[in-house]
Amino acid sequence: MKRISKKAIALTMAGALALAACGGDDGGSEAPAETEAPATEETEAPADTEAPADTEAPAAAGWTVDTSSCVDPDAANAPIEGTLKIGSAMPLSGGVAATAFAPVKDGFEAYIAWANETGLLGDLTLEVQIEDDQYNKDLTPGAVEKLLDAGTNVFSGIIGSPNNAAVRDLLNEECYPQLLALTGSPEWGRAEDYPWTTGILIPYTVEARAYAAAIAETYGEGANVGVFIVNNEFGQVYAEAFKEIAPEFGINIVDEQTIEATDSAPPTAQVNSIASKAPDAILAVPLGAGCATFLGEVANAKAANAGWDPQIYITATCASSLILGLAGAAADGLYTAQNLKDILDPAVAAEPAIAEYIAYMESIGKGDIITTAAAGWHTAEMTVLIIKQAMESPEGLTRASIINAARNFDQVGTFTRDGIRLKMNGLEDQFLAESLQVIQYDAETQLFTDIGELITEFES
Amino acid sequence: MERFFQYVFDGLSFGAIYALLALGLVVVFRGTGHLNFAQGEMAMFCTFLTWQYHSWGVPLVLAILLGMATGFVMGAGAEVSLIRKVAKKSEAGVFVVSIALFLGLNSLAAMIWGNLPPEQMASLFPDEPDDFLRVFGAVWRYEYMGMLLVALVLMGLLFLLFSKTKFGLAMRSVASNPESARLVGIPTGTVLASSWGIAGAMGALAGTMFGATTGELTAGLMFTVFIYASASATLGGFDSPGGAVIAGLSIGVGEQLAAGYAPGWIGQELRLGVALVIIFVVLLFKPSGLFGSVKVQRV
Amino acid sequence: MWKIKEGSAPHWALRLLGVAVIFFAVIWIPTQMSTSRIGQFSDAFVLIIAAMSLNLVLGFTGMISIGHSAFFGVGGYTAAILIKDHGWSPGYTFYAAAVIAFVLGCLIALPALRIKGVYLALVTLAVAVLFPVLVKWKKLVWLTDGAKGIDSVRYDELPVWPIIGELKGRDGRAVFAYWLAFVILVVTYAVCRGVVKSRFGRSLVAIRDNETAAAVMGVNLTATKVLVFGISASLCSMAGVLSTLRTGVITPEGQYVTLLGSIVFLLIMVVGGAGTLWGPIVGGLVYVWLDNTTRGFGSDSEGVIGFLFGWADQSPATLILGVALVLIMFLAPYGLVGLIKRLWTKVVVVVPKPAGTSATSVAVTTADTPR
Repeated sequence: MKRISKKAIALTMAGALALAACGGDDGGSEAPAETEAPATEETEAPADTEAPADTEAPAAAGWTVDTSSCVDPDAANAPIEGTLKIGSAMPLSGGVAATAFAPVKDGFEAYIAWANETGLLGDLTLEVQIEDDQYNKDLTPGAVEKLLDAGTNVFSGIIGSPNNAAVRDLLNEECYPQLLALTGSPEWGRAEDYPWTTGILIPYTVEARAYAAAIAETYGEGANVGVFIVNNEFGQVYAEAFKEIAPEFGINIVDEQTIEATDSAPPTAQVNSIASKAPDAILAVPLGAGCATFLGEVANAKAANAGWDPQIYITATCASSLILGLAGAAADGLYTAQNLKDILDPAVAAEPAIAEYIAYMESIGKGDIITTAAAGWHTAEMTVLIIKQAMESPEGLTRASIINAARNFDQVGTFTRDGIRLKMNGLEDQFLAESLQVIQYDAETQLFTDIGELITEFES
Repeated sequence: MERFFQYVFDGLSFGAIYALLALGLVVVFRGTGHLNFAQGEMAMFCTFLTWQYHSWGVPLVLAILLGMATGFVMGAGAEVSLIRKVAKKSEAGVFVVSIALFLGLNSLAAMIWGNLPPEQMASLFPDEPDDFLRVFGAVWRYEYMGMLLVALVLMGLLFLLFSKTKFGLAMRSVASNPESARLVGIPTGTVLASSWGIAGAMGALAGTMFGATTGELTAGLMFTVFIYASASATLGGFDSPGGAVIAGLSIGVGEQLAAGYAPGWIGQELRLGVALVIIFVVLLFKPSGLFGSVKVQRV
Repeated sequence: MWKIKEGSAPHWALRLLGVAVIFFAVIWIPTQMSTSRIGQFSDAFVLIIAAMSLNLVLGFTGMISIGHSAFFGVGGYTAAILIKDHGWSPGYTFYAAAVIAFVLGCLIALPALRIKGVYLALVTLAVAVLFPVLVKWKKLVWLTDGAKGIDSVRYDELPVWPIIGELKGRDGRAVFAYWLAFVILVVTYAVCRGVVKSRFGRSLVAIRDNETAAAVMGVNLTATKVLVFGISASLCSMAGVLSTLRTGVITPEGQYVTLLGSIVFLLIMVVGGAGTLWGPIVGGLVYVWLDNTTRGFGSDSEGVIGFLFGWADQSPATLILGVALVLIMFLAPYGLVGLIKRLWTKVVVVVPKPAGTSATSVAVTTADTPR
């Protein structure tokens, strides 16, 4: 699952609806499914937009991609001049996924337009084309091929783990950068096998570990934890990562419950089961609309089991005040993590770069989706920073130099929290976002406060 | 022991929703002989409409009644304009049209209410965390109790309608033999349209109450509930309203018990599987359901 | 209106013309069109194969099934598991998938023997919804990888083409996928045609029209229904294998593996023309075209489309599909193929030979039986 914007959505079907989906499928889906609903998270807070202030350009030595096994090595190393085309595939229709992610496209396109207007890349004009794959991995290859035929040079911000996986082999074989996959799957950190593919979200594995560390710090050895996940790829990867690291921190997992992505019913039985074991903390990975429902159930269970007050650690995909606002008082005091700023915090919104983002979005009539669109803005910004770095490299702007730049990267973006740097370093550091801050939600003010120190130990 | 009662209470409450929707399926089947594949989506759409009325300032109870009225109009309208005309041409065609309704309503709901801000359905009943009753050690939330009660009341009203009113009599006669009914002077068209209308209204209420238990409304709201309702109607017998109710409540309780007492084998993942297996088994051994009547086909 | 005698020279010329057009189109696509277009046709073929398999069961035998997505999924997963976990060569997985799906189809057909109509629809509904649930079942995770799905399933090497030589990279893969899908499509068509034109096929239609009468006339209902379901299932599973090979990924929530997939297959079949051999082909092409065109409608559209749909939060593609489905049911109940046949007979009518003059069967289009 990817975390993007704040909207959580349940999928259906898949399938589900089945539509499902329709599924929605967070993993499913597609109602969709689906339908499946993808959860989105993204409480981005704009950081500073000044162009690459810091960061020494990844000097000389550094990881470089091997283009000898490309289908067309010359094309991969050919200079790109005049116009650079960026392509992506996002769910813009077809169910719950689209509800969550469609605004990401707006944010992405807005940034590119803004970058062109402000001449961020000098003579180079940026073009962007985002195709709709309806969160259906069967449609993503078609979308990507269409973009390839249209002369796309770089892919960025494709949404959906299966969607990215469906085109990964193709793009690596053809040697096109598949940058900043908008999902937290640990699959995007395989530089040996898939050098051209990178991801932008905090890997679920890192997030799960961060929570394990936080729990151990609060409760010491032998903390009891209940795990609640949505039964799809997103939830499964989370749970596995948490279970793997739990012994290290002396955590006992006393109960593991799941909910289907397409099931919109409240998880009464699941939460009751967890409550009966009375754990100290709950690790929750619900999907989209399920976030608010789950929190409501926990509040009910707490009332029914006087004396039980577990600390809730919830996935960053739920961590938007829009979604948590639905849960009302039930969401008070929960912990989550973020590496970006909270754009709805008035103090943050007043920062110059962020204020500029908000003003720009309003000027193009998209003022009501600034929260979800921020994910798109952020991804586009990172893309442009990578491109700029590639332009300034000795080889000039080529597809190969773009991915080289991506993998020798050390910068901050507008929304990045203070103290966090987004870094990648060849084979040693294969994930862009590995530092995060545990934050706590206050239901009354609907704002987050930082808890503890910035966690950077997972940064390679 | 209290675990057992917990499952029973939760099962009855959600089972009531399945029963309501199943009742809608049965009413339509008895009246017109078709399976309304779009029953869940109609319910979902009316739930969104109810939310919309409420957010426009209409008091909640009134909004719900208005939503039910809209459901009635929607169901009757679908029957008159689409189903009736296609039924003349082919039976399979009706199924296809109801699938088209399923797709269309789902898409329309996403188009209208799809994006931000998220919609949350208010509840008729007190639904704060401490609004519950302790019965035999288990917790029964007012909200869930309310769902069960309202559903039972509505089902009771429906039975009264069927058995004690002229209109109900007309519905039963049309269900039993449409030709004779027409010959006797019963306005078959109105009756058929009303069957669909009633189903629509009940679906709206089911969706509204169910939607209130979730944190956020989405277009996939009633999809799984529809599957449970189909299982209930199958188990109870498609032409037995009483059967549908009993089956709905049983399936609600049954799935909770199965998932709760067999976490390794069934657990929450296969909860839906329980309903699906029920469909299989019933259709394999007793297709007319527990309480349905066996149709004899004369050659 | 132009009357031609069956078997005469103009008739043969017309047939030859038809074949030539198809032949030309089939060659034109992979050689002249852009790679993404070739890909679109490959994707369309996959859907067409699935719809054709459904047609056997629903169009010709009258058994309502919305469970074919399960067979599609079985095919897809068989291929993924065999290729990824057991190192099979992709070509052989078609056979494996066909066999497994055949068995499964026969098993699922057993309840179908006693129930019809809406009840059968429910059983198949249960099958379709059960499939993703079972795939994710904890007891089966060792096989299916649960909710994560299986990825990176692909052909390692591409073949060398006879005249063109070697095509590399995505162009080569696209062309290969196209021809592979086309071959499977032809096989499917041949199987369907063989079934339909045979005695077996006539017994299918007999069952559809009046089951009791068919039984009275000596049709073995059990064997026939089970057999046709099995054949249909195995054809559908091959579509699943193709889909996995094309995307390299299979997940339990992929669209065609869930109930929504079954609905799409049904849609395609109905739109094209149930009970006709060409129906699913026409339906599949129309569906893919419609889907591609309407997916882009939304807030970016201008003109009439912008007026109609610009306000919507999401694209109206599915809504338009639903409306199209209703229109077809009202205006062209025999699907687009039926419509084309009706219109065609206003231009050309093939007059059958008088009975008894030759052994030819009467499979000719006439103006009053649009089937």
